[in-house]
Amino acid sequence: MRLHIRAAAAAVAALAFLYVFSLPAAAQRPRTAGPGQKVGILEPGGPAPRASDGHPDLTGMWWPNRTGIPHAENTGADVDRAALRQFDPAKTPEAPPVFLPEAAAKMKALNATQRELSKLSVNCIPRGLPAIWLSNTYAVQLVQTPGLLVQLIEVLNNFRIIHTDGRPHPKYPEPLYHGNPSAKWEGDTLVIDSIGFDPSTFVSNNGSWFHSDELRVIERISRPSRNYLQIQITVEDPKVLARPWTSAPRHWTLVEGEDVHEYYCTNNPDVDEFQKLDSQGK
Amino acid sequence: MKSRVSGAAAIACGVAWLAAPLFAHHSVASEFDTKNCRDFTGTLTSVSWENPHMHFNLDIKDAGGKVESWTFQGYSTLTMTRAGSPRQDFMENMGKEVWVRGCLARSGTTHKAAAGTLKFADGRLRQVGQLQDNGN
Repeated sequence: MRLHIRAAAAAVAALAFLYVFSLPAAAQRPRTAGPGQKVGILEPGGPAPRASDGHPDLTGMWWPNRTGIPHAENTGADVDRAALRQFDPAKTPEAPPVFLPEAAAKMKALNATQRELSKLSVNCIPRGLPAIWLSNTYAVQLVQTPGLLVQLIEVLNNFRIIHTDGRPHPKYPEPLYHGNPSAKWEGDTLVIDSIGFDPSTFVSNNGSWFHSDELRVIERISRPSRNYLQIQITVEDPKVLARPWTSAPRHWTLVEGEDVHEYYCTNNPDVDEFQKLDSQGK
Repeated sequence: MKSRVSGAAAIACGVAWLAAPLFAHHSVASEFDTKNCRDFTGTLTSVSWENPHMHFNLDIKDAGGKVESWTFQGYSTLTMTRAGSPRQDFMENMGKEVWVRGCLARSGTTHKAAAGTLKFADGRLRQVGQLQDNGN
């Protein structure tokens, strides 16, 4: 009888152990940061989860650096500078874009204040694609179902709806901030090929890298491990770039137990200030 | 065929690229003067919890004893809340004395500053704005 009780107790303990270590992502404890706390690069966290259709599941709220903690550097924590970067330039260097001379001249004509005034973010206008990946300091949340990926973009409350069944681009694509996507899985990587962009967007939110009507953006999105989302962007624009530009594989980290928040831009005095500076020749 | 790209063009436009940590809405140092920063002490009179920046107002006595209202710009509301300074902290300190390190507007706009660090009555130093002044 006593042996049976011991065996049962051991079985319960084993089941409890398995339960605790197999909790789904949403049930795990969020990472936090505070004054004096050391924050380094988030560990890989084991294999990426799979969706019901066998593809990697990209679902989660993702943060644009390698801390896994939103705004860790603003909490007074001792944050490793390397963790604030999306990639290690020593391991995966990212070459700067090479512009055609006339495009470069147009960009150089702007002074620092004029570049600030040109930034869509300063004007509370959505960054568009691919700046939303390349120049975004806030979270994105991905929701994946078979054949569909929904991207919720925290800053300025934007969204993208991407069908992942390989359907072609529209015959007459309209100019859109996030372009017109055609997406399909290539192995464990989701490849999104987009054309047709609003002429007012910039490739990067630096107020100068403009684009032409021939802009094409290819996103390669994968989840190399549970805690990491990897994005690599290729930009083709033969009227602006001397050759296509490809980013380093940039990393976003999983944030546990949090959703994107509301962010409407309703009180923005910065444009007036920059216009004042511009009129002063500063 | 000769390349249409000059080396100078490639280099000039690569400046400020690469893997630098990302900055938010805009470059605060382009709007505020990091060489013109001061300590401010005053009474908290209001807080605006909006984006792209939260703002708060202090009543501050000038050298002659006259009380003037100053507006301070902080992080976005999301950054404030996630970094440990939610709106409620400001509400609980309304009417109380607050210390702020702030830098003045480059444009010369008066009674306005970008906040860097802040202390409520509890004495804890908080980072409430992007600006890291250079000690001047």
